[in-house]
This record gives sequence, structure tokens and C-alpha cells, in this order.
Amino acid sequence: MIETISGFPIGIVPLGDIVFSFSEFSVIGFITAVVFTTIVYLTNPEKQLEAQKFKVEDKLEVVTLNELKIRRMMAIVCGIATAGAMLTYDLFDYALFLSLVGIANIGIVSAVKREWVLNAAYQYGLIAIISTLPLFGSAGMVLAKTGTLSLFELSKIQTSLLFEKIIFAAGMAGETGIAPFYAAKAEMFRAPGSPYILMIHLSSLLLIVRTVEILLTI
Amino acid sequence: MDISYFYNPTIIVGFAIGILSLLAISSQKDDLHALILTDVIECAMLIIIAGVGTDLAEALILPGLVVSLAELLAVSEVLITRKYLKSKTPKPKSYKLFEEFKLPLHTGELRYNIQMEVLKTSPKFLSIVLVVYGAILSGFTGGAVIATGLLFYALSQRVAGLKISEELKTLWEGMSGLSGIAWALWVLGFLGFFLFPEKWLLCLLMSGLGLVIKVGSKLGLIGYIGEVND
Repeated sequence: MIETISGFPIGIVPLGDIVFSFSEFSVIGFITAVVFTTIVYLTNPEKQLEAQKFKVEDKLEVVTLNELKIRRMMAIVCGIATAGAMLTYDLFDYALFLSLVGIANIGIVSAVKREWVLNAAYQYGLIAIISTLPLFGSAGMVLAKTGTLSLFELSKIQTSLLFEKIIFAAGMAGETGIAPFYAAKAEMFRAPGSPYILMIHLSSLLLIVRTVEILLTI
Repeated sequence: MDISYFYNPTIIVGFAIGILSLLAISSQKDDLHALILTDVIECAMLIIIAGVGTDLAEALILPGLVVSLAELLAVSEVLITRKYLKSKTPKPKSYKLFEEFKLPLHTGELRYNIQMEVLKTSPKFLSIVLVVYGAILSGFTGGAVIATGLLFYALSQRVAGLKISEELKTLWEGMSGLSGIAWALWVLGFLGFFLFPEKWLLCLLMSGLGLVIKVGSKLGLIGYIGEVND
């Protein structure tokens, strides 16, 4: 049952070592990422109405054009990286896409001129930098142990990769900012500008699911 | 050679560096220091990958390095913006590169205008040494050393408040344009070997011509240095 989580394989793009492959699972993830990227490109950011404590009037937060452009670009980069991570069948490439998503997530909020948002982005950035050690380190250890990074080959090899898998999962958790590291990331969502901020969520969700799929198949 | 014999200590070293840096970060109050210490963790990551010691691992180090640099740049940019927001001073419209290195001589804070000859002559001498040495070296290293020499000259002229002559600027522009064309020729010829193996002679000539132009431009630079006497 677990072996068939990626579903029926549809096709492979044979680009040497860097293998992209289409299966039912990866195509669904890819299409979701592409559709959301298109939505992000087409929509304008929301205007946020902030209720003020102990005051009568509310405050309207507007995303200026200058800020909008760079954030939209970073959100599109994030979407493309997520879509690529869905299709790739090379462990190191996947780690690269993961860290690219981490950079793009910082970029999405870095144009916001609010101090607490930038503070949170800084803390999250530190976590993202630190977590490249377990991410790429585990990829290197898998390479040392099995001699390959292709997920097709890894699924055939009967070696226990439990330690490497645990480290890879830890790196993924830091890079996408899920549960233990979420506290640093949560403050970033208070920034105005809805579809761009949602891109951070969507990329994290898709990458978590894909990581689970990878760790179950190898 | 038995790789695994070396690999185990390398991993231990890598993780030890990572954990020790994490401890250091946890006791660090200054944001900038914490950021720089995280870069040490990136280096530990490179150590672990390098410990594999195969050709594939060698190819993996470069993307890892690029990713780590990109993350470092992004986070430092965030840090700079936050620092600016914290200080209520009005923001200057544009930051000049290496503005920090300006001497008090030109900002007007120094009371006595000291004219030191060594400030004008030593950058010229050092950059000529670097350029000559780089021209003798081959390949990327030589280009990097030459570029360091030229950059050092340009920066020190700027710091000392002097102008770089138009002639020299034009020459540099021409050199870099020529170098770019040669680089493109070399890459195209190299790609051609794999894409069209039957046209190997053409590709060989293309990459050979690119290399000749690059080396030749370097040698031309030597000739030019001989003529500089102002």
C-alpha cells in the first residue's frame, strides 16, 4: 500500500542525471502549484483594515506598487520552485528546491516595511540557513552510503537509511518552517498582502507532502 | 582508496562544528554575530558533502555554496532594512558601494589635510604586482587575481578621492567585452562537443579561439602595464 503512494507512473523526462518524472501524485502537486502561481500573478493584493485597540478609527493598510512588484516576483519564484520540487526525482535537486523556497519565503515578506515582520523574517532566515546543514548533509550521507541520489535507484536499494531520513526530515522542517520552528514564521503572516502571503503556506504544505512521499519510497 | 575510512571522522567533524555553532548562536545577543555564525554552519554542511570524496559530491558542493550565499545575502538584506527602520533618521536615497571606506580626509571630519604620497603610489604598485602575477598564472585563478588587482586600484582611487583616467576606463570596458565574447565562444565550442560530435573540428577551433583571445588579452594587459608611466 505504502509503495504505491506516488500512484501510476505516467512518464519520465530523461535529462541525464537530473530526472524529472510524472506520476499521479506529482502531477497533481505540480498543477496545484502552477495554478496558484497564475492566481498570484493575476490578482492584486488585498487591502487590510486593522482594528485599533483603544481607538475609534481603524487603520487601512495599503500595499504600494513598489512593494507589490518585488513581492509578486518572489511569490512567482516560490511557486515555480514548488512546482519543480513536485516533479524532480533527484534527492539533491529536491533539497535545492527546498532551500530555494526558503529563500523566496523570506523574499516575499522582506519588502514589508514593518519592524516586527522583518524581525520574524530574520529569525526565520536564521533557521532556514541552519537547516541547510541537515538537509544537504543527509543528501551527502545518502550518496556516501548508496552511491546514488536518484529516487528511482534508491527505491530499489535494500539499505537502511533511517538516520539519513530523520536528518532530512529535520532539515525539511526547518526550511519550510513547520511545527517546532513555526513560532519564528507565524509573525510574518501579520503582514498585509494576501495572495503573496498565502504562497508561503501553500509551498510549505505541498513540500511537506512531497517529502513524506519521498521518505516513504526510498 | 577506501573512502569510508575518511568519511566517518569527516561527518563527526561536520556535525561537531554545526552543534558548537548552534551553542554559540544560542548565547549570542547581537544579530549580526548570530548571522555570521550561521554561515559557519553552512561551511560545516560543505564539509560533510566534501567528505564523500567522489566526483558527484564535488559537483554538489557548488550548488550548496550558491544556496548558502543566496540565503546569507537575503537575510543580511532583511537585517539592513530592519536596522534602517529602527533608526529614525531619514534614509539617504541610495547607498554607495564601499562608502564606509572613505577617509575622514574627504568627509571633512579631519582637521588637518594631510597629503601622504604613499596613499597615491602604493595602490598603483600593489595592483600592478597583482595584474602581472595574474597574467602569468593560467585559467580562472589568473583572471581572478587580475580582477582583484584592477578592483583594488579602482577602489583605492575612489577612496583617495582621485579620478580614474577615461583612457583606462575605456580599456577596461574593451577588455571585459572581449573577455565575454571569448568566454561565450569557449562555452559554445565546449557544448558543441556534446551536442554535435560530428562537427568536432569546428567546436575545437571555436573553443581554441576563445582561449587564445582570453590569454592574448591577458598578455596585452602586460604590454599595457609597461606603457603606464604617469
